[in-house]
Amino acid sequence: MREILIEPLARVEGDGGITIRAEGKKVKEVRFDILEGTRLVETLVVGKTPAEDLSITCRICAICTLSHRYAALRGLEKALGIGVPPKAQALRSLMHLGELLESNSLHVFLLALPDFLGYPNAIAMAEKYGDDVIKALALKKYANHIMAVTSGRMIHGENPVVGGFGKYPDRDVLSDIKKQSQELIPTAERAVAILAGLSIPDYFEQETVFMCCEPGDSDYGIVGDSIRISDGQVVDASEYRMLTNERFCTHSAAKHCLYNGKPYTVGAIARMNNLGERLTGQAGKLFKKHRNKRWHTNPVFNNLAQAIEMVWALEQIPKIVDSILKVKNDPPIVQPSRKEGEGVGAVEAPRGTLYHYYRIQDGLVADANLIIPTGQNLEDIEKYMRKAVEVLLSQGADDQTIRMQAEIIARAYDPCISCSTHMVRFERDVK
Amino acid sequence: MKAKTTEKKNLDVGLYGFTGCNGDQLVIIHSEDRLLDFFSSANIKTFSLAKSDNDDSELDLVFIEGSISSQEQVEHVKEIRNRSGFLVAMGNCACYGGIQAMELGHEGWDRRFQSVYGEHFLEVRTPVESKPIDAFVNVDFYLPGCPIDADQFFSVFANLIRKTVPAMPDYPVCGECRWKENECLLLKGILCVGPLTAAGCGAACPSHNLPCFGCFGPVQEANVSSEFKLLKEKGFTVEEIKRRLRMHSGSGILKSLKNIFGEV
Repeated sequence: MREILIEPLARVEGDGGITIRAEGKKVKEVRFDILEGTRLVETLVVGKTPAEDLSITCRICAICTLSHRYAALRGLEKALGIGVPPKAQALRSLMHLGELLESNSLHVFLLALPDFLGYPNAIAMAEKYGDDVIKALALKKYANHIMAVTSGRMIHGENPVVGGFGKYPDRDVLSDIKKQSQELIPTAERAVAILAGLSIPDYFEQETVFMCCEPGDSDYGIVGDSIRISDGQVVDASEYRMLTNERFCTHSAAKHCLYNGKPYTVGAIARMNNLGERLTGQAGKLFKKHRNKRWHTNPVFNNLAQAIEMVWALEQIPKIVDSILKVKNDPPIVQPSRKEGEGVGAVEAPRGTLYHYYRIQDGLVADANLIIPTGQNLEDIEKYMRKAVEVLLSQGADDQTIRMQAEIIARAYDPCISCSTHMVRFERDVK
Repeated sequence: MKAKTTEKKNLDVGLYGFTGCNGDQLVIIHSEDRLLDFFSSANIKTFSLAKSDNDDSELDLVFIEGSISSQEQVEHVKEIRNRSGFLVAMGNCACYGGIQAMELGHEGWDRRFQSVYGEHFLEVRTPVESKPIDAFVNVDFYLPGCPIDADQFFSVFANLIRKTVPAMPDYPVCGECRWKENECLLLKGILCVGPLTAAGCGAACPSHNLPCFGCFGPVQEANVSSEFKLLKEKGFTVEEIKRRLRMHSGSGILKSLKNIFGEV
């Protein structure tokens, strides 16, 4: 028995590993192991107030803290019958774009690119790609700044609350954010150019299904009340259980998801495949130039999709800032109209669709269910790694080659392992 | 100056993450302007969130993020302790156990685990209820926060690589609120646990008109019973106050609560 173990898998968020077992040229097992400790978050929020829930669930993950917060806000506000005013909505859109930029730039530049350029980390890349690394860090810093300004702190900011915001950012700060966005577009375009220039192996390619939020208008977007599937269906987000259909695997502290019994993919590549035709501006041009039919069969193009999405986000920011600045007075926090109800909030976290379901009883959380993007991608990660290993074994590849390819596939999904151990179900009445 | 620094070898430093959100390591990665200096001022041997060429050998200084939540992690943290000189518990999960260690009690951790995972068991790990690092090994320094504050981290780091002892605030969030001239939220009848919480965040939430949730853990010598009295006078119930206090402070507050109420 030949065994290749990768543990821990570096340059991903959280504690994960890969296990490959083979006999001769026959694959026995290819697993993506989720080793992160369990936190049972859905049991922690039961009996808590909506404000306490926000403070707990955003801490599931530091990279997608604001996506968790946004999904929770949408779920809780639906349950409590709250509609937020346009200024609050626009500021939420800005914070969400900030996080998308932060996460995509972190993944593209610091976590994924070192693989393709042959370095152990981005700092080591600085010798040859010094200028690019410095510009990449400047883009990431800008994105972190947006997160800090909108949420009140760089990570786990509490400023976005049920019904609005504790405090709105200063107008000058927002104007600066608008101005800087244009200066950073060339950095994002450079990422697109580097990634588009790489040759991506095709031997593990195969079909899959893609899912993402449907923004509901004819634009590209990262939030929505329904889900668009690449088979042409659009399904209400409240049907999230049917869409994701979780099941348990003994090698993973995260449950795996299937749609109609089949693996599927979420994330930037799913958004680009399902909604990319709607892109305009520079992002639209880049999409038309680089997208091809291999994007439907090869997850490694997710890196390029993330880079094009950065251009899109930077192009959106001036419009969003204008719509915030347009409203002079800061609206007060909207209070709940009821103490009972249930709701599903869906948003696109940078790495895919994130669902937060809540049932509220007497003003407290009675039941919560959170479905996380990485859990939805686990089946496809294993499917693509398996195919790659099968082909490499038949070619007599050495361990190092197999290991490297498996890592590139897993990392392309930008897995968020802290998140994925919490996509767990819990139902109980508050006693 | 230059000649002196080259005589002395840089310290061997490691950063490890256990159960949590990786937010403390991310605070470091997010410190773009200081990142290159950070990597050059010490020999960063292990930092698995940031690099893949990690070297698990002897360390002069180690920062550990996250709580311990499996039997395998218990063994791993002991193994790290054995080969490390100075150990820093970094962030609330490492210092106090974090949100996952609020010890809800009522049905017990086993029941809660079952309610999430059913009758299944995990082959890859043996899960246990989350505990802070000091439940298993000696901790030399506590750097709390959820997440840690970047300025505080780099100040502690700079002190430790020069082998001096860093100073930490021994006053509550209220101190920072006063410096920022924030209006006191408790006076407005809002449940704020700032008086019991260690400073370090710059009063992040009260500066946004929002109450402190206690995410830097308890301030040294926090007077829990007098805060309880004060909050009860403001009209909050014991249940509400206890629920809020235990959210982020884990082992740091449970001891005080047990002293006041017996069972929590």
